[in-house]
Amino acid sequence: METLTIPASKYTPEIELNAEQNTITIKGKSYPENTFDFYAPVMSWLQSYFEQDKLPKTTVNMEIIYFNSSSSKLFFDLFDLFEEAQDDGKEITVNWYYDAENESAEEAGEDFKEDFEAMDFNIIKK
Amino acid sequence: MGNDDKLIASLEAFLTNDVETLKENVEKLIKDYTRKSKRLDKIIHQSDKQQRELLELNEELERTYEELDEYKNHLEEKVEEGISEIKGLNVEIEDTQKEVVFTMGAIGESRSKETGNHVKRVAEYSKILALAYGMDEAEAEMLKQASPMHDIGKIAIPDAILNKPGRFDEAEFEHMKRHAELGYEMLRHSSRTLLKAAATVAYEHHEKWAGGGYPRNIKGEEIHIYGRITAVADVFDALGSDRCYKKAWDDESILSLFKEERGRQFDPKLVDLFFENLDAIMDVREQYRDLFTDENPQKG
Repeated sequence: METLTIPASKYTPEIELNAEQNTITIKGKSYPENTFDFYAPVMSWLQSYFEQDKLPKTTVNMEIIYFNSSSSKLFFDLFDLFEEAQDDGKEITVNWYYDAENESAEEAGEDFKEDFEAMDFNIIKK
Repeated sequence: MGNDDKLIASLEAFLTNDVETLKENVEKLIKDYTRKSKRLDKIIHQSDKQQRELLELNEELERTYEELDEYKNHLEEKVEEGISEIKGLNVEIEDTQKEVVFTMGAIGESRSKETGNHVKRVAEYSKILALAYGMDEAEAEMLKQASPMHDIGKIAIPDAILNKPGRFDEAEFEHMKRHAELGYEMLRHSSRTLLKAAATVAYEHHEKWAGGGYPRNIKGEEIHIYGRITAVADVFDALGSDRCYKKAWDDESILSLFKEERGRQFDPKLVDLFFENLDAIMDVREQYRDLFTDENPQKG
């Protein structure tokens, strides 16, 4: 599978979906004008990725400074996708990074962790 | 299984009266509904919290802008105050420098019981000649300030010689001549333009255009223009004043001496300029003439 890279813009995060290193990285702000259109290639890449057999452990690194409510909704969908893949036997670790001064990013990480209690979900202060 | 599938499965179970399946599917639906409902609360809560944080950041930014603006205005004021203070100090430094230099010259003169007005007149004559020679205003003004120090070396000459009435014997004259070199030694170490000029004036104001002067017996343009100008100014004023060893000369004798010494003791070009500017020079002499009253009797 090809690596999918989307560089950061003023309102959208930097994204790297790397099938060789089995890492999924989303870093920055998330205020796309149309959130579901923006993340559509990400979701479809992930669906194909998790359809692979004998996948080694996948690490998800997320460092989202600020995000709008539709991005939050999308992140729930994203974690649903990870949860389904895990139910399907794939090994996944999620690392949610936040800046010590960014209280809302920390709380959001806790919200996601709480919803996906069966997942290996780490909240990491930078 | 998606929610629609669960709903259809529930309806089928209801219609077929399959109570177990119905119960199972409805429970799944409720569980799913509860989870989604919690997510909605979380999304709203996250959004509210971020909005508030962004609002706070925005307010902080506005406050910072205001502070910055205030600081900027204040800074401009401070800079202006600072500049005007520096200007004031600069004027004061320049005035102090002029006064110190003038006082130094006056000290040299007072030792030999000459009047303070002598240095004032020499200063003004030097400037007139400097401008006539082609120097710019700044350099002419500097020479005006430096020329009063031409005799500063006299402070190192003993009173007995300096104030001796009548003529010097040869040894005394040799001693007296040392004032040029002594003045130069006093001033030459300074890096200030004014004091350097003063050192040159002290060193060379007794040199003669055709040679034969002291301390170095240099001639022509080997003698710095500052020295040549001060020589004319000093001699003109000295001849017209009473000194402890002589009476003042009349103007006719003085002027004829300058004509005679044109190209001998003095730079011929400067003698020509001296005569061309004689009116201005006489005005200065009149303006700064020595006044003697009973309270301030002439000494020497």
